Amino acid sequence: MSTGPHVTPHIGASHRAEPRGGLARDLRAMGAILRLFLAERRGAFFAGAALAALTLLAGACLLALSGWFITATAIAGMSVTAALAFDVFAPSAGIRLAALTRTAARYGERLVTHDAALAVLAGLRERLFRGWAAPEAAGRLADRPARLLFRLTLDIDALDSLYLRVLVPVIAALATTLGVAFLIGLVDAHLALAFSLIVLGVGALVPLIALRAARRPSRRRAHALEVLRARAVDLVAGQTELIMTGRLAAAREGLAAADQRLAEADDALNRVETRISAGFAMAGTLLLALALLAVAALNGAGTIDAPAAALVLLLVLAAFDPFAALRRGAVELERALIAARRVAPRLAPAAAPPAIPRAMPGAGEAVRLRHIEIRREGAPLPALTDIDLAIARGERVALVGMSGAGKSTLLAAIAGEIRPARGEVAALPSVLLTQRTELFRDTLRGNLLIADPEADDERLLAALEAAGLGAVVAGLPGGLDTRLGEGGLGLSGGQARRLALARLMLAPAPLWLLDEPTEGLDGATARDVLARLGRAAGPRSLVLATHLRREADIADRLIVIAEGRVTGTRRRGDPGFAAALEALRPD
Amino acid sequence: MSLATAIRTAPGTTPASGSAVPDAARGAKAGSAAGARSLRPAIALQIAGALLWLPQAGLLALAVAGLVRGEGLADMVLPAGAFALLGVVRALLEAAGSRLAFRTARGELMRLRAAAAEALALGSPLDTRRPASGLVASALAEQAEAVVPYLSRFVPARRRATLVPLAILACVLPFSWVAALILAVAAPLIPLFMALIGWRAKAASEAQLIELGGMNAFLLDRLRGLSTIRSFGAVEATATRLRADAESLRQRTMAVLRIAFLSSAVLELFSALGVAMVAVYVGFHLLGTIGFGSWGRDFGLGEGLFILLVAPAFFEPLRELSAAWHDRAAGQAALEAIEALAGEGARIVGTDEAMPSRGGHALAVRLDHVRFRHAGQPALLFDDLSLDIAPGEHVALFAPSGAGKSSVLALVAGLVAPEGGRVSVDGEAMDAGSAARLRAPMAYIGQQPHIFAGTLRSNVSLGRADVDAGAAGRALVAARLGKVAGVRGPAPIGEGGRGLSGGEALRLALARLAATPQARLVLADEPTAHLDSGTAREVGDALIELAQGRTLIVATHDPALAARMDRVIRLDHAAQQQGVQEQGA
Repeated sequence: MSTGPHVTPHIGASHRAEPRGGLARDLRAMGAILRLFLAERRGAFFAGAALAALTLLAGACLLALSGWFITATAIAGMSVTAALAFDVFAPSAGIRLAALTRTAARYGERLVTHDAALAVLAGLRERLFRGWAAPEAAGRLADRPARLLFRLTLDIDALDSLYLRVLVPVIAALATTLGVAFLIGLVDAHLALAFSLIVLGVGALVPLIALRAARRPSRRRAHALEVLRARAVDLVAGQTELIMTGRLAAAREGLAAADQRLAEADDALNRVETRISAGFAMAGTLLLALALLAVAALNGAGTIDAPAAALVLLLVLAAFDPFAALRRGAVELERALIAARRVAPRLAPAAAPPAIPRAMPGAGEAVRLRHIEIRREGAPLPALTDIDLAIARGERVALVGMSGAGKSTLLAAIAGEIRPARGEVAALPSVLLTQRTELFRDTLRGNLLIADPEADDERLLAALEAAGLGAVVAGLPGGLDTRLGEGGLGLSGGQARRLALARLMLAPAPLWLLDEPTEGLDGATARDVLARLGRAAGPRSLVLATHLRREADIADRLIVIAEGRVTGTRRRGDPGFAAALEALRPD
Repeated sequence: MSLATAIRTAPGTTPASGSAVPDAARGAKAGSAAGARSLRPAIALQIAGALLWLPQAGLLALAVAGLVRGEGLADMVLPAGAFALLGVVRALLEAAGSRLAFRTARGELMRLRAAAAEALALGSPLDTRRPASGLVASALAEQAEAVVPYLSRFVPARRRATLVPLAILACVLPFSWVAALILAVAAPLIPLFMALIGWRAKAASEAQLIELGGMNAFLLDRLRGLSTIRSFGAVEATATRLRADAESLRQRTMAVLRIAFLSSAVLELFSALGVAMVAVYVGFHLLGTIGFGSWGRDFGLGEGLFILLVAPAFFEPLRELSAAWHDRAAGQAALEAIEALAGEGARIVGTDEAMPSRGGHALAVRLDHVRFRHAGQPALLFDDLSLDIAPGEHVALFAPSGAGKSSVLALVAGLVAPEGGRVSVDGEAMDAGSAARLRAPMAYIGQQPHIFAGTLRSNVSLGRADVDAGAAGRALVAARLGKVAGVRGPAPIGEGGRGLSGGEALRLALARLAATPQARLVLADEPTAHLDSGTAREVGDALIELAQGRTLIVATHDPALAARMDRVIRLDHAAQQQGVQEQGA
């Protein structure tokens, strides 16, 4: 029986529906990410791993040299002459050198790897932005709710751990093992060979087994976390609906059930992680016991002396330390792979579709649509059918109709954001005022410069004045440098719309597309904004999508759209114009 | 954990002294003190495991001493076997300890989440100071995860760092007070230097307002506004700016990290030098060059090697604590955020218990001399409000926005308690004992109905046992969503999928009502706000039709909808002083 209001948790259905990734697919995705790492900081990439290996090697040398030194001094100390002849300075200097090298290498490693990781972060974000900003990708992103954007952040974070937790430790572990094997080889070549085979074998096998064991719980964890998140949103945003249908307690239980599933996945991952640690600890212990028997046999045979035996034992002591860092990496790699699969396509904009063809309209025309048909991805029915429309330069046109009739889709088609399935679009360069006011967490100036990067302060202030924000900005101590958003200037809905209007005025485009420009504003504010908009538009052509009488009233022509078709046209002065206006919603 | 949080909370960039922990965190810490206490068995296992290294080191040291004395392979079998056995037991103890610590910590997280969910569920939806759902989701889902590493890694590491070095010191001291002194001096210097460097790094990071998460925020912010950026042809400029900002952030972050990482370098330096000095001292002692430091008797190779082998283990817990340091700041911030969710505020009347509801006669509603103000507001919204609505009556509460229409509906539904006066439904007073039962026969339609993560049908049934798939489908058809349901099919809507238009969302709320035949009182809050006139008319038709035979209270400022009710109650500013003006319609 369902415990929550969710009959089936559909969150992440898309993730489950993904074809079960073949190894080749995973490798391709990883390849794209790796190429990015190498492109950003090839030198630092390897330098970081080299310094990590040097840290580990210096640590092993510190202990091994100390063990050799102590054993050698103990033997030398048995006779006075030997004690006097013993060279104490070279080994003790070596021990101090190893100590200082370990410190310096560790410090260098942390700086270099973090610098490289930050550089990769910068590159990754820039490329993702460019990838999503490609024409049709942008449309797909606009259809996505906030949660998918949020998933993108988690994905980026998961990729961050790839370099620090997987790539650096793997390279460092390999290099350290070979380095230690070389040192053991100075004592006995067979020992060195046996050592490398065992350490590399175990060191590869344990993480690979862990990787396999972590696959399912990693996926479950990613999924359960999204379900938990969705249920938390539902519990708070849907609280009234839930109380009034007697389902609030059930929704709480649903949240607890999601947490329970998350806890089970967490527990499975923790079990894997603990087993890796325990596995390496046991392998290390057994290896050392074996090494003790081996050096005893070699010492008995007279092949090596006791100090060399101590040296070997203490080198073997830390054999698996470099692999401990792989513990988290092995558990987190699957999450990183999920992220790589989702992010990689956006990193390769080479495969981006060609720009949507958009011709210039004929002389005297602002927009010319010839029998266009628009079909949303995967939708069985077209959103717009056989739209044939001409708008003259300087004309002001309102697209009216019920919500869902296709008004916004038509604006997007004119703006060249959607590829028509059929027909031809010709339009002047345009700028779109989106239905939801889109301002950025930036300064006032930064928000305005998007429209015209060359504009000076005088022009910016003039635009703000024309939009009715002159007094507000004059009263700000920071002026144009005031930041918007958290910790900065909080704008009311009307002020935000005015700022968007000021930005619109700065754009040089001769065609303005306005999607419900005063929705959500009170009547008086809305009328003021509309009057300023009309004045600022001047000779430009306007196309607005609306269901409000006050907005349609600034148009010369009303185009009625119903179910994706043009069902009527009324020019100002036509007998039906007033009636069509009257049918629209008052404030 | 991401690199972003790793850097933000690297040792030294956070308030290492603990002096900057806000009060809320202290409260949350106290709340999870029980969690820390229940970690004791896990910590005991881990410490027992760590201390097993002492006999292991002893065995190894004696074995090497034996090799020097000329012992052969046969003499080594027993020590090697014992060493291996102890090692396996040590690995098992440490594994058991960390598993137990994890399970305890994860159980504590589950308890915290459930407590926060209960506090959120019982808080009044009318309280505007409540956190937004997006904030709740972040705090409760991702951020809360940081509690687990804090409890399962940092807390045990802190305890180990105080106990294990002391035990090792106690084992070294009988052999050589000099070696013990070297360790004892090196260890306390480490936290001292780390704290000094930490303060500098903290000042530097505060001065530069390092916020690595800001880079993600910038990307999301610009992606949300992508249509605008594309429309203004600012893609290239924004991408360049993104890179430049990230680059400057990298430089500023590295400036801080160069200082912050010094703290771990100090730890490395002292532990490496500590081991090196111990080794050199032991070597010179064995050579006979240095005679003092061993209580007057000379120690041999076995003792010397033992001291060398336990010296790194002396510093190991400190290194582990340093590695877990970032878990502390993140964990305490998470506890604080969860605590904030369960903050004090207005509560609903009664509990959220589900009560059975059977159909029956339409309900009467009375408000007698109700006094009410919004939580945290000085001004009264109603001083003395009385209303009397007869069973089966259709009433409009008509007023401009902000006059308190929604509050009246919330008072009737028991979603908030009045300061004074009485709310009664069907002749029974709404109080803690009766509220859940009185709410059961009510149905509610909000102006922006929430769309739950799930399918269109599951959004109608909301998991109610008495609404099966067939009933949900019929309700969708009744609310004129049949076509939308056909096109969408079982595709997810809400958080997981595409949204619905405003009109579709309202129709969905109507479908929920249609699937509730036992409702005897319908409360509708601005059902036609923000709709185009055609859709508004359709929604009004459907609402009136569905409310036949039931009491209907509609809060609205849409004159067209108000005119279709039996009675209009004006609820404007003047009415607050003089009661309410009523007019027939």
